[in-house]
Amino acid sequence: QERQVSGRVTGDDTQPIPGASVAIKGTNRGTVTNAEGRFTLKVPADAILVVSSVGFQTREFPVGNQNSLELVIPSTTSSLTEVVVVGYGTQKKSQLTGAISSVGSKEISELPITNARQALQGRVAGVDVVQSSSQPGAGVSVRIRGRRSINASNDPLYVVDGIPLSGGIDDMNPNDIASMEILKDASATAIYGSRGANGVVIITTRRGTPGKMTVTYDGYYGVSSTLGKIDVMNGAQFAEYKRESRRAVGQYDDSDPQADSKLFEAVELDGIAKGRTTDYQSYILRTGNIQSHQIGIQGGSEKTQFAVSGNYFKDVGIIKTQDFTRYTFRVNLDHQINKRIKVGTSTFAVYSINNGANSFLTNSNGFAPLGLTLRENPLGKPYDDNGNLIFLPTSDGLQSNPAAEVVPGANIAETKTVRIFNSLYGEWNIVDGLKYRFNFGPDFTNRRFGRFWGTYTNARRLGDPSALTNYSMGFNYTLENILTYTKTFKGKHNLNVTGLHSIQRDNYETGGINVTGVPAESQSFYSLGQAQIISGVSTGLSQWTLQSFMARVNYDFNEKYLLTVTGRYDGSSRFGADSKYGFFPSVALGWNMSSENFLKNVSWIDQLKLRASWGTIGNTAIDPYSTQTLLGRTIYAFGTTAAYGYRPATIGNSNLRWESTSTANVGLDYSFARGRIAGSFEVYQANTFDLLLSDQLPGTNGFASVLRNVGKTQNRGIEVTLSTVNIDTRGGFRWTTDLQWTKNDEKIVELFNGKVDDIGNSRFIGKPITAIYDYNKIGIWQTAEADLATKYQRKVGEVKVEDINGDGKIDADHDRKVIGSQIPKFTAGMTNRFSFKGFDLSFFLYARVGSTITSGFHQTFNTLAGRYNNLDIDYWSPKNPTNEFPRPNKDQESPVYSSTLRYFSGTFLKVRNINLGYNVPSTIASKLKMSSLRLYVAAQQPFIFSQYRSKYKGIDNETFDSVNEGQSYSTRQILFGINAKF
Amino acid sequence: QSCKNLLDENPISQVGSQYYNTLAGFESGVRSVYSTLRDYYGREISTNLTVFGTDTYTMGADGSYKYMNQYTSQFGSNVDLLTNLWNAFYTGINTANILIEKAPDIPGLTDAVRKQRIAEMKFLRAHYYFLLVQNWGPVALELKGITTPRKDYKRAPVPDIYAAITADLEAALPDLPATVPSTDYGRATKGACEHMLAKVYLTKATSEAAAADDYTKAATYAKNTIANYGYKLNADYAQVHDQSNQQSSEIIFACQYTTDALTNGSGNETHLYFGMEYDVQVGMKRDIQNGRPFKRYRPTDYMLNVIFNPADRSKDSRYKKTFKDTWYCNNPASTGASKFDKTGKSFTFTAGDTAIYIPGVEWTLDQRKAKPYQVLVPSLYAANLFPTLQKYLDPLRPDVTYQPGSRDVFIARLAETYLILAEASIKLGKAQDAADAINVVRRRAAWTGKEKDMEITAAQATMDFLMEERERELAGELTRWYDLKRWGILVERVKKYNSDGAPNIQAYHNLRPIPQTQIDRTTGGASAFPQNTGY
Repeated sequence: QERQVSGRVTGDDTQPIPGASVAIKGTNRGTVTNAEGRFTLKVPADAILVVSSVGFQTREFPVGNQNSLELVIPSTTSSLTEVVVVGYGTQKKSQLTGAISSVGSKEISELPITNARQALQGRVAGVDVVQSSSQPGAGVSVRIRGRRSINASNDPLYVVDGIPLSGGIDDMNPNDIASMEILKDASATAIYGSRGANGVVIITTRRGTPGKMTVTYDGYYGVSSTLGKIDVMNGAQFAEYKRESRRAVGQYDDSDPQADSKLFEAVELDGIAKGRTTDYQSYILRTGNIQSHQIGIQGGSEKTQFAVSGNYFKDVGIIKTQDFTRYTFRVNLDHQINKRIKVGTSTFAVYSINNGANSFLTNSNGFAPLGLTLRENPLGKPYDDNGNLIFLPTSDGLQSNPAAEVVPGANIAETKTVRIFNSLYGEWNIVDGLKYRFNFGPDFTNRRFGRFWGTYTNARRLGDPSALTNYSMGFNYTLENILTYTKTFKGKHNLNVTGLHSIQRDNYETGGINVTGVPAESQSFYSLGQAQIISGVSTGLSQWTLQSFMARVNYDFNEKYLLTVTGRYDGSSRFGADSKYGFFPSVALGWNMSSENFLKNVSWIDQLKLRASWGTIGNTAIDPYSTQTLLGRTIYAFGTTAAYGYRPATIGNSNLRWESTSTANVGLDYSFARGRIAGSFEVYQANTFDLLLSDQLPGTNGFASVLRNVGKTQNRGIEVTLSTVNIDTRGGFRWTTDLQWTKNDEKIVELFNGKVDDIGNSRFIGKPITAIYDYNKIGIWQTAEADLATKYQRKVGEVKVEDINGDGKIDADHDRKVIGSQIPKFTAGMTNRFSFKGFDLSFFLYARVGSTITSGFHQTFNTLAGRYNNLDIDYWSPKNPTNEFPRPNKDQESPVYSSTLRYFSGTFLKVRNINLGYNVPSTIASKLKMSSLRLYVAAQQPFIFSQYRSKYKGIDNETFDSVNEGQSYSTRQILFGINAKF
Repeated sequence: QSCKNLLDENPISQVGSQYYNTLAGFESGVRSVYSTLRDYYGREISTNLTVFGTDTYTMGADGSYKYMNQYTSQFGSNVDLLTNLWNAFYTGINTANILIEKAPDIPGLTDAVRKQRIAEMKFLRAHYYFLLVQNWGPVALELKGITTPRKDYKRAPVPDIYAAITADLEAALPDLPATVPSTDYGRATKGACEHMLAKVYLTKATSEAAAADDYTKAATYAKNTIANYGYKLNADYAQVHDQSNQQSSEIIFACQYTTDALTNGSGNETHLYFGMEYDVQVGMKRDIQNGRPFKRYRPTDYMLNVIFNPADRSKDSRYKKTFKDTWYCNNPASTGASKFDKTGKSFTFTAGDTAIYIPGVEWTLDQRKAKPYQVLVPSLYAANLFPTLQKYLDPLRPDVTYQPGSRDVFIARLAETYLILAEASIKLGKAQDAADAINVVRRRAAWTGKEKDMEITAAQATMDFLMEERERELAGELTRWYDLKRWGILVERVKKYNSDGAPNIQAYHNLRPIPQTQIDRTTGGASAFPQNTGY
């Protein structure tokens, strides 16, 4: 008995799949889905449908007695048959020998992110992404498999459309990205040699495909607000805290009815009487918003393909006057000139305006009014009774009204960036299998930072306005000649040989002018020449060059036994004359076990591959001119005559050579039960030697430090990636989970004098690179311990530190120890996705667990001196004998042993994102002249769970090591978005 | 070949050490050694080290470094200002060492200039070692330029350091010029060198490097300074610290600052620290004239009642000329109740009216009530309210918040030379010589017509008298702590007159703590480069 059934085929992203083949198993009957992914078919009883499509896994579905079917087939991007981008080429995932992870456009597009690096967070095992500031346009830090280098940079290399970047990817538009591949082990990164020491992120942008032209619109709009204000003391708490700070030094007599009037000034007394708490934070905060609009056009003929996109992005921050606007434009073109020659370009242009950020040049002078706000006396009055702003709400000369900071025009901190990045190539198929490719990647970046401080700002406090500008002009280019040869012998021996010569040169010019006494505030920083005082003028030039020769051989036997051998010879201008070049080899083996006969018939194993690699790579990431002995300029005058001078500023080391890391990696890729359980498992050990280390010198040298190649560090880690399909019902309900878990242990193995601690630099054998070495706070001196406290020259209510050697006194030589480690016990990310009919729901959790962080935030806002407002923490008083924080004391600007009060647990769990989407049925979409339409709402960072925030009133402890005082609020965003395809 | 050139590195925007092999480079190096003076003079550390923790000054309301006055255990090896200063002195010393070694090989350098420049380097090197040894006692004695970094440092005995200082100064003396052209004003001269020698020998005489002839030498060099170079006291004590008169005939050597931001660097910031909190008082707001009152240093009762004995103020003009006592209304909009004078009066001022007056002696409440301004009497002095030292006030700053002041810091002036001569003479038993020297200073300090009343007799020329006279003349001029230490009375005086420092000060506070970074980074740590006892 045959009957008619109808249905729709969608991918696991719930997008309909047109042109999919739907066949009845065991017959040669079948059909193909239409543009909306729909089909109708006559089927016999107990029929099984086999659904397949290019780019998707082939799946079987029993029809049963259903008449309407929702058939979901997973894309191959979660399987091992996917093609991935590797350095200078692509490879089938099954043929990979190195540790490479991928993030696809789906993961990137499902989060409304501003920065491409955010897409990596929690997605890829071994990649630690930290974003601690929510300031618009703020950068993100990425560490791949921990830190190796003490002195040099630990930032990974970013390669965009084949060109290694020198300027970072913060200017990139994340919506243009088709995929990101993260190369982690030495074998995978070896092809980038010295550049790849900290791992490599390869970014491929969307390119055109032949066929029907598509036009897409992707946009979202959302509002952002703080994830809670900072809990500082309210008016009454502040008053009591101020009293306590005087009681501590015998200057507040509770029995004196006049005590308050002696201590407080009029406005404070008024505030106390009226129970006033001025919430200064509310004067600098607003509801922010974020939006992105992107139009993309893709298409082309067999000979010419194109992808064009334009994007407008704007993030209006939650602190007034902070915002970020970015306009980007991209053209990707590929053209086949003839059968053998192909040329193409990726051209990307960006223009952005950022208000509030630090100068790109000095990493300072940004607009950050939060600190002033948190310290402001809550008893004060920000506005008088006529509504006029009171610039000095109390008599404290250092504290001006935070509300004055955000008056338009009072503070301007504007960065403008123009960048044009190109990747041009020509490809010549010399003979079959032998290919020559030429890459040229010019990258121009111009930036300007302008800063203005008006008279009514805290920085000027009624002084004349001051201003500065910083300029930079960067030109970086990469030139590469690549020869590849691919051949299969006897149908079983697959060989691929790649040879490369590459030059990269960077030229970076900078300039700056600082002035005081801008005549009219309206001139801002646009007429510095008219200022009364030119307080600084500077220009600079920095250049570096890299030259490399590389060869790689990939060989496999029947796709079962795999071998990769790579060698790279790198030269850097940054090293000493005789040590510019270094040779970095690597070798990797792979074994596709599932292709072996003994496993071929094990039905539940789809794929099982064992990989092992070893290799060495170098790190060049020291500043140019580090090998040279340079003089620094000094400023003096004889009478009124300028007497500038030069004196030794750095002590050079012409023997500096490559810092090198040898990594051994063993990995296992697996896929079971038709992809229901898939993932990989990696174990590695990376030994770094010839460490480029800044050796801090005794001051008697006249130099602070010298760079040397000494010492060793080690990173060991485990990475687990697991993707599961938990539920996949016939009714179309599907639940999948992606989990990644990373543990990386970092330690110093050797220093200048072998296995000897270097206390002067806080470096300890067996401890992480930046150990926290300090006195150990064990509580607060309590009233009952007064005598003992006196013996230690301390008073009751002060911090009690451990007398480690028990000699009855506290001294730096004997009573400091390593307090904790900034290295988390593990980091983990988990994404859960649910889909049903046209709906999809996902949420993403991210956690760092077990680290100890240093909170500069507390160092600054928990000074307990009874002058500035303070975090609302648990401080000691005779009535509150806590062991948390010491007694306020007006005679000290910060408590004795205050450094011990800034160490906290770095553990947190964040709900990064909750995303609910709906795919409008194609019948409706087509009426709107669309081929598909998706609507979604998303909540970004709706929750953070962290004791540092909840108990210790911190701000956001998502950090590698320290929370600094300038950190901005954490934000929560609620967004609404559309993905439309025409 | 081209591949090789491709990787050559050429620091275009920076200057490499080869520059020192040229005449221009060598001269620039010499100038840079002078700039080290600015790492001490004009910085907060200079006043923290000399004004704080003495008998004449204690702490005011504000500041992070009160422990340097209180001598609590926070005053230890991790005080950033001390570490920075230590490092700065050795940077200057190392540069001087390198230049002294390079001097013989500089093309185009004439013999005469070479000698003068070497002498200048030795003069400055000695100056930095003199400050190091007074503060830290035995320190590393480095007289050779560093080209390869070292970690094997040790502390040289105090006598070795004094020997190096006197050797440098005595070697420099013949090669230094008696005068310099105005475009070189501030370079070392013979007079500066002789004054320094006098002071070094005076100081050495009570140190563990003491020699029998120290006082004789101190007196001789002081006399030479006075006699041979045409230095002359200003007629009026008020002219000494008149900002428009900084290169007066009395100034022997000074750290140079300017009104040009490009050559002034961080400037002289001392103007920030001595002020009292006038700016929140009725009728007043902060202005350039009256300065930014950081209220760090507050004169002690001893300073106000003994050094500047009210009974002597009618003949000795220095109390009036040292301390600011009147503030004129600059903020008529601010009217209202008095804040400190306890009269309960409410004031309305017009600009220019007297708003605050400090009589310097006690007035009754009724006397105060009779005045149309607030009166700050001694019984109302507080951590934020006290007579303000006006020697450093800097009304030439372009705006009210501007920190880099333009006053030179006087390192040696003739009045002190006379007092050095007097001190050496007392120690040598030549009381009349001492009285003669002191009287030169005191006559100048007199109100017009009171010169005779100011003179002292030989019998009055005692150490006790000199100890007070020095502070009357030099209050706030970066000498007091070194004076007390030289006289061996630091602990006794602080216990007696500085109630904030009294509970904690001990004998070991005669030396400062060695920076922890120096100890930790030296091979062998504390056993190779030990901390001063007590810290």
